[in-house]
Amino acid sequence: MLDVLGLRKVHGPDPDGPPAVADLDFSVAAGEFVAILGSSGCGKTTMLRCLSGLVPPTAGEVLLHGAPVTGPPKDMAFVFQDYSRSLLPWMTVRRNVAFPLRYQGVTGPAARTATEEALAAVGLAGRGDRFPWQLSGGMQQRVAIARALAYRPKLLLMDEPFASVDAQTRAGLEDLLLEVRERYDITVVFVTHDIDEAVYLADRVLVLRPPAHVSLAVDVDLPRPRHQVDTKRLPEFGRLRAELFAALDGGGRDAAAPAPSPADAG
Amino acid sequence: MSTERSPALRRAGLVALELCVPVLLLVGYGLWSHRALDFYFPPLGEIAEVFGRLWLFDRVPGDLLPSLVRMLAGYALSVVLGVGAGLLLGLSRLLRTAAEPVVEFLRALPAPALIPFALLLFGAGDGAKVFVIVLGAVWPILLNTIDGVRGVDAQQLDMARAYRVPFAARVLHIVLPAASPRIFAGMRTSLAIAIILMVVSEMVASSNGLGYFVLESQRSFAIPEMWTGIILLGVLGYALNWVFLRVERRALFWHRGARGRLGTAGPPGRRGRAARPRSAPSPEVTDA
Repeated sequence: MLDVLGLRKVHGPDPDGPPAVADLDFSVAAGEFVAILGSSGCGKTTMLRCLSGLVPPTAGEVLLHGAPVTGPPKDMAFVFQDYSRSLLPWMTVRRNVAFPLRYQGVTGPAARTATEEALAAVGLAGRGDRFPWQLSGGMQQRVAIARALAYRPKLLLMDEPFASVDAQTRAGLEDLLLEVRERYDITVVFVTHDIDEAVYLADRVLVLRPPAHVSLAVDVDLPRPRHQVDTKRLPEFGRLRAELFAALDGGGRDAAAPAPSPADAG
Repeated sequence: MSTERSPALRRAGLVALELCVPVLLLVGYGLWSHRALDFYFPPLGEIAEVFGRLWLFDRVPGDLLPSLVRMLAGYALSVVLGVGAGLLLGLSRLLRTAAEPVVEFLRALPAPALIPFALLLFGAGDGAKVFVIVLGAVWPILLNTIDGVRGVDAQQLDMARAYRVPFAARVLHIVLPAASPRIFAGMRTSLAIAIILMVVSEMVASSNGLGYFVLESQRSFAIPEMWTGIILLGVLGYALNWVFLRVERRALFWHRGARGRLGTAGPPGRRGRAARPRSAPSPEVTDA
């Protein structure tokens, strides 16, 4: 469905400058949930902006359904990390969700139905008249997800969407995401720096190392539906977690770190 | 800490305190002018009597209305021009760079200096006065609009672009609302400037209006009349500002809400503010 071919992105006018994304190749199959795992500053936000067509790549190509992406494609939705900056505070929750629909030719009763359905799907039925700033952080991010769902995307790009909420809320949002992607049959590309989150959510995890390129791809064969406690208790979860941790950390940064003292090894 | 008083009582107390000083000043002036018998400071009673005779409502159509019409026309034109040009200049760096020297020059020019030219251009009618008002009042709106437009959160625009919202709709539904707090700040400054320039322009080559009335009264030594004109101007400015603040409060409701300054006037069922970002190991570099 989505093919990234030799993607390279250099900031600034000099195409030979230090790249943020270099030689990035991967594909995402229809219906797949791919988590892209990378530490801070490894270029994953830049990569996602190239994927979404928000910025043009310096070299290489992004193909969606085989066609090159030159601008934001029609059936793609984007959920940003910072809900407080991607929701519009002068619009009610309902208007925020419905805002993009008008420009897709979805108006009147169809737009109303799509909006209310999406709000219900994220558990915000009846909160449409509130303003985003009257909701908690987790609820605001649910509004952003509802906006994406109402848009009826085939592909959902998410840029560390749950990094700004507390752990409890985060677990709830993760399960909500898995549930709605099942229901709406959406392909998801999910960027995160959290190993547990990547393993818990994804069918496949790609580890990005700077400048952004895939240094490891791991299939996650954990059974679905996943469960916050049971899934994370599986030996396979721990194994994947350790493998990804090593891959993420394997750049030698901690090679000389002292071994854990006997007291810590429990 | 006396925090137990009811909000209504507190409000009443504050209003009383607010009224206290003006009332004291008026009473003080009344007592003093009654004894002073100063030609330039007529007794309060006389001023009040003349005020009632002139402005309720004899001279309203002849002087107050023309002034108001000029002021509001000039102000409205300033808002339209300032916001329109401010959007263009705020959105386009090229245009902004090209226009900056001219804008800075015209802004530095005291608008009354152009009254003689305006008279040549438009004659002594309303056109010249509206021209002068616009020339003075447009700048705060223009400059604030430019700043407001430039300060729009890039992520809001990215969001709209990712959802394929067309450019015109992005300007109308994101840039304009996001800039509106700044635009209102500029409009508020411009309102005061518009009133000043209305008076000044009416004092030069005019045959009616409040500015004309004050100057003519002074020239014919009708001192109480002169004072009533001045008082009326003060009342007018106060009233216009009051109306403006009401409009602003309504229009920027969301702005105060988003900043957690809605107080008790907010809608019911307010939830806690947005959770602070989790303490991540180190913040993601937003390399945008």
